[in-house]
Amino acid sequence: MRIAVLGPFLALIAACLFFATQSDRFLTGENLSLVLQQAVVVGIIAIGQTLVILTAGIDLSCGMVMALGGIIMSKFAVDFGLTAPIAMAAGISVAALFGLTNGLLVTTVKLPPFIVTLGTMNIAFAITQLYSHSQTVTDLPLWMTALGDTFSLAGTKVAWGTLLMLALYGLTWFVLSETAAGRHVYAVGNNPEAARLVGIPTRKVLLGVYALAGVFYGFASLLSVGRTGVGDPNAGQTENLDAITAVVLGGTSLFGGRGVVIGSLIGTLVVGVFRNGLTLMGVSSIYQVLVTGILVILAVTADQLSRKGAR
Amino acid sequence: MNVPTVHPVPDVPAVPVVLQAKNLVKRYGHVTALDGMDFELRADEVLAVIGDNGAGKSTLIKALAIVPDAGEIRLDGRLVRFGSPIEARLAGVECCYQDLAVAPAMTVAENLFLGRELRRAGFLGRCLRMLDRQKMIDVAGARMADLQVGIHSMTQTVETLSGGQRQCVAVARAAAFARHVVILDEPTAALGVKEGNMVLELIRRVRDKGLPVVLISHNMPHVFEIADRIHVARLGRRAAVLNPKKLSMSDAVAVMTGATAPENIPAEWQA
Repeated sequence: MRIAVLGPFLALIAACLFFATQSDRFLTGENLSLVLQQAVVVGIIAIGQTLVILTAGIDLSCGMVMALGGIIMSKFAVDFGLTAPIAMAAGISVAALFGLTNGLLVTTVKLPPFIVTLGTMNIAFAITQLYSHSQTVTDLPLWMTALGDTFSLAGTKVAWGTLLMLALYGLTWFVLSETAAGRHVYAVGNNPEAARLVGIPTRKVLLGVYALAGVFYGFASLLSVGRTGVGDPNAGQTENLDAITAVVLGGTSLFGGRGVVIGSLIGTLVVGVFRNGLTLMGVSSIYQVLVTGILVILAVTADQLSRKGAR
Repeated sequence: MNVPTVHPVPDVPAVPVVLQAKNLVKRYGHVTALDGMDFELRADEVLAVIGDNGAGKSTLIKALAIVPDAGEIRLDGRLVRFGSPIEARLAGVECCYQDLAVAPAMTVAENLFLGRELRRAGFLGRCLRMLDRQKMIDVAGARMADLQVGIHSMTQTVETLSGGQRQCVAVARAAAFARHVVILDEPTAALGVKEGNMVLELIRRVRDKGLPVVLISHNMPHVFEIADRIHVARLGRRAAVLNPKKLSMSDAVAVMTGATAPENIPAEWQA
């Protein structure tokens, strides 16, 4: 396991060193804190995405479901005057429902995850736009943006959301590596037929994974709303590919059954550092998209080659 | 679940019958895969099941572990009906399926305990549902040493093993947990000569430990090397049960293909 995250970790160090030579501001506490704050949304989406990819699936709907969750919770709070916790729960529930739908389509109708989530991605986007009339939702209750607030730790600002993200990573790591349910996720991704034959309820495992991924996207909505302070119907568009990139950069195999969730955290930071570093260098944002695209292809290539090597 | 009816088995052989099936019928749509198949596995034997494609070999094994359309199955004399491979497993019948048995990226110990993981005692296990890795590694190591499978590290991933060793892990998993019967579906099909022999050795050791083995195989030399009796499936029925010491491979093939009609099989061939 340690070896599995060594590559991504070295990539992170290399990226940091490179940007440190390019900009004096990169290695300041203030900037690194910013990188972490910007990484939380992608980071939490990446947890859900890791679960799905471990089962040899993919979830293209992650960013859009996250945006929908954010719109639901902010509209519910503002339009219906719901208290923040109830509105937040509503947003997370809708995201979980989308995850569950993905899971049902994958397990019962047996559609390929790629197609299912391509569909739900567009559906979630359309609902987001229709429901919000493509308008940003403002004047949110204070409670709703609390996770975006920061506190000072040794002179550096730390967002509460960052702590939530780290806690969720810790929890997911524990379940995946230390419990039977977690090992069954790996087994289903590794060899679904063998998993079924030894009596693992493979459909339940898949359904659980997709639904849980939805819950994580819901938490990400919370963080996204908290950080920006508004319900943004155009959220999630860069996060979608960034989260997949983060998971793959973190060493989780797109072929399923291999990878560790902590790798996705490192992958998230790599993506975050690239975006931040390129911004500091004054590179236009469209080049950041270009770089992300190249990164994801490199990571998948490395995955493919290492799989061939293992045979 | 099972109705323990105590019927005296007619003309009881010297060795007790562990698994017995009578008149099994299994249809898939319009195809009749089993058309009144009988089956009998004795304690302490390796029973090979041979037959042409479509003769009902695999269906027989599935029917033993999955409900047939008609017919009855007895395990240790008790009438049984397994709704799923898991139920069969709980009754002590373990199956090992061709090529499908292991999760390559997981460790040997994890594969051995897949689907029946051990949890820690106390709070960590009961409330946090935490696995007892060390115990699983220890038990796996002991079982593997017991079966003399030459794999010593229980924490290496299965994909780092050779094909023969992988198959040994799959066979050992079935053998390690079976209490009554081990069913192996083509365990040597994808292996080279040396690796195949490794698996055959393991099968022999499993039998010598007192577990009867059903071996479904296409590989005649392997069947003749290891089987005590050969069940020949043909057209969804049992064509004969042969004694490998009394006939040649080509004789067996003749029975299997129908070139030798069941009524023409010499009495001394039969077992």
